[in-house]
Amino acid sequence: MKTCGLLLILSLYLSGCAFNSVFVNYPSQIAPYKQQLNSDTPTANITDLAANISGNDGLLYAQESGRIMQVSGNFTRSKTYYQQAIDAYQAFDDKAVVSASELGAGASSLLLNDNAIPYRGPGYERIMLHQYQALNYLFSGDAQGALVEIRRSNELQSMEQARYQESQKSVQAMANGTIDAQMAQLGKAAGNVTSSFLNAYSYYTTGLLHELANEPNDAFIDYRKAAQITPDNVYLQQDLVRLAKQLNMPQYDEFKRRWGDAILPTAEQGQVVFIIERDFVPEKQSITVPFPINGNVQSASLATYQAQRQLVDNSQIQGLGAPLTAQTIANIDALAINALKEDLPAALFRQAARVYAKYQMNRSVQSSRGPNNPIDAGALVMQLFNVITEQADRRSWLTLPRQAQIARQFMAAGSYNVRLNNSQNVKIDVKSQRVTLIWAIETGNRTRFYSIII
Amino acid sequence: MKNLKLIFVLAAVMALSACQSRVEYGDATEVETVNENFGSTDLQDIAAKMVDSMMAFPPVVVMTQSNRPIVFVDKIKNKTSEHIDTESVTDTISNKLLRSGKFRFIDMTKVDTVRKQLDYQNNAGMVDPTTAIKFGRQIGAQFMLYGNLSSIVKQDGSTKDVYYKMTMRLMDLETGLIEWSDEKEIRKVKSKSFLGL
Repeated sequence: MKTCGLLLILSLYLSGCAFNSVFVNYPSQIAPYKQQLNSDTPTANITDLAANISGNDGLLYAQESGRIMQVSGNFTRSKTYYQQAIDAYQAFDDKAVVSASELGAGASSLLLNDNAIPYRGPGYERIMLHQYQALNYLFSGDAQGALVEIRRSNELQSMEQARYQESQKSVQAMANGTIDAQMAQLGKAAGNVTSSFLNAYSYYTTGLLHELANEPNDAFIDYRKAAQITPDNVYLQQDLVRLAKQLNMPQYDEFKRRWGDAILPTAEQGQVVFIIERDFVPEKQSITVPFPINGNVQSASLATYQAQRQLVDNSQIQGLGAPLTAQTIANIDALAINALKEDLPAALFRQAARVYAKYQMNRSVQSSRGPNNPIDAGALVMQLFNVITEQADRRSWLTLPRQAQIARQFMAAGSYNVRLNNSQNVKIDVKSQRVTLIWAIETGNRTRFYSIII
Repeated sequence: MKNLKLIFVLAAVMALSACQSRVEYGDATEVETVNENFGSTDLQDIAAKMVDSMMAFPPVVVMTQSNRPIVFVDKIKNKTSEHIDTESVTDTISNKLLRSGKFRFIDMTKVDTVRKQLDYQNNAGMVDPTTAIKFGRQIGAQFMLYGNLSSIVKQDGSTKDVYYKMTMRLMDLETGLIEWSDEKEIRKVKSKSFLGL
């Protein structure tokens, strides 16, 4: 009877649920794909992963598949996958306030675990989705399409900003458009408060694409917001001074005083802009606490992040005259940690409800067989079921980078061999009066370069 | 516990009892409100408003009284946050203008194809030179029709407000003067249903 119960649970555990986060934790599903990105076959078996897009967590798998395709340079396929994720978000938006399917998912989360609730990413993931989709459009030569995605991410950014407006003073300052030195000081002391809930990388990318599309005024607005979040980035400071000078902005004098005068490219020079993505965002860990209630073993599992944040050094760019040091624009890991922090109260509430539901289930099995029968197989199976099904919700977009860095340099027209840290050399072209955008994605021990001249 | 079971059964029944899908023909000019995105009704409204406005504008009426001005359509710039096929909007507008019999059009999207064909006729040695159409005989456009489509989207809780503005202009290429201009505004408000699947 005992083995029978165990077998039952084992079969439940294995039966075709290989890609279902309810039973197999999410990071272990994605780990082989992340490993693959360091090999010569980055997109092998991607169809297996993409097959999950039709499932409950389709949104998440679409994001991962799109990102894997993007990192490997297949922008067209990536665009298709990202579009599926965007559609999924829109379907969520269109859901009724009280939705039967959401109630159903909530009910099954009571019985199993939080992974039974369809995945819906935090705000920064959705913004990054549109930002990456914009880069897909740009690198496949559709500048107008890229701008559409940029406007979408601008809309989402302002919604995200509004969400924090009431509680966060620093965001209020941002809406007013003032970059106050006091804020920068605070940021240094408290490990940059604003940057843990707003993503300067997204603002920078939208700004950059506006600039590339010859919309310097829109670019100025986004750069200014990025600078509010990441005040110490010298490249961003220079961008702001330069645009303020070009546009005759009233802030020009103030910016000049603070960061030095703008350096403008000469007629023979072109610009080289780097966006560098390093490593992978950390995985959620789980903590499980078993505890007995009236002799029944119950357990509670919660997702968490490792306490110590891994630091990423600034990338060294060789081959453009003097070595260039890239600077951090955003720590995606900090955003992830903050998103989890925000989600915690709701998760705790569901956890408490689940412990109660499972305890009631235990009792119902027991009472039917007589109280406290020590070799009651049904109760034992129930308890095992409880412990096994109690898994923390460890789902998050894992192929995102840990950190994004930027750099910009004016160079005379010509061809250059560029190297990032210890990567191989890549040849890039610089044309006068044009911008060469280089997107470098480092996934552990491999760096991929994509460049486009605009 | 009993309640819990009931919820499960209810959820399962609702999930399984999806309606059978079916296909039927609809009226192409019917008002479409599937969602708040740019749709066929918006396109038709914009095209109708623009054409009516242009045809009724007194200077344009005078201009088209004795001859049929030659116009080319520049691409309409999409400044919204949706991927919209603006060529389809310009196609509808130029169609209507052409059908009015008051304008003639040059299709700039087909210039390359025409060039290839003329090249073939003149240089391939396959076509009787007396019937080959010579280069440099086409007539230049006198006017340019162009425009912008922009949008403002606002969202708060269960309400989403979308505002579209289409601006169109007709420029005299010789003088650079704008001979006609108009705009069409569309506002759509979407509120989420309270109960649903």
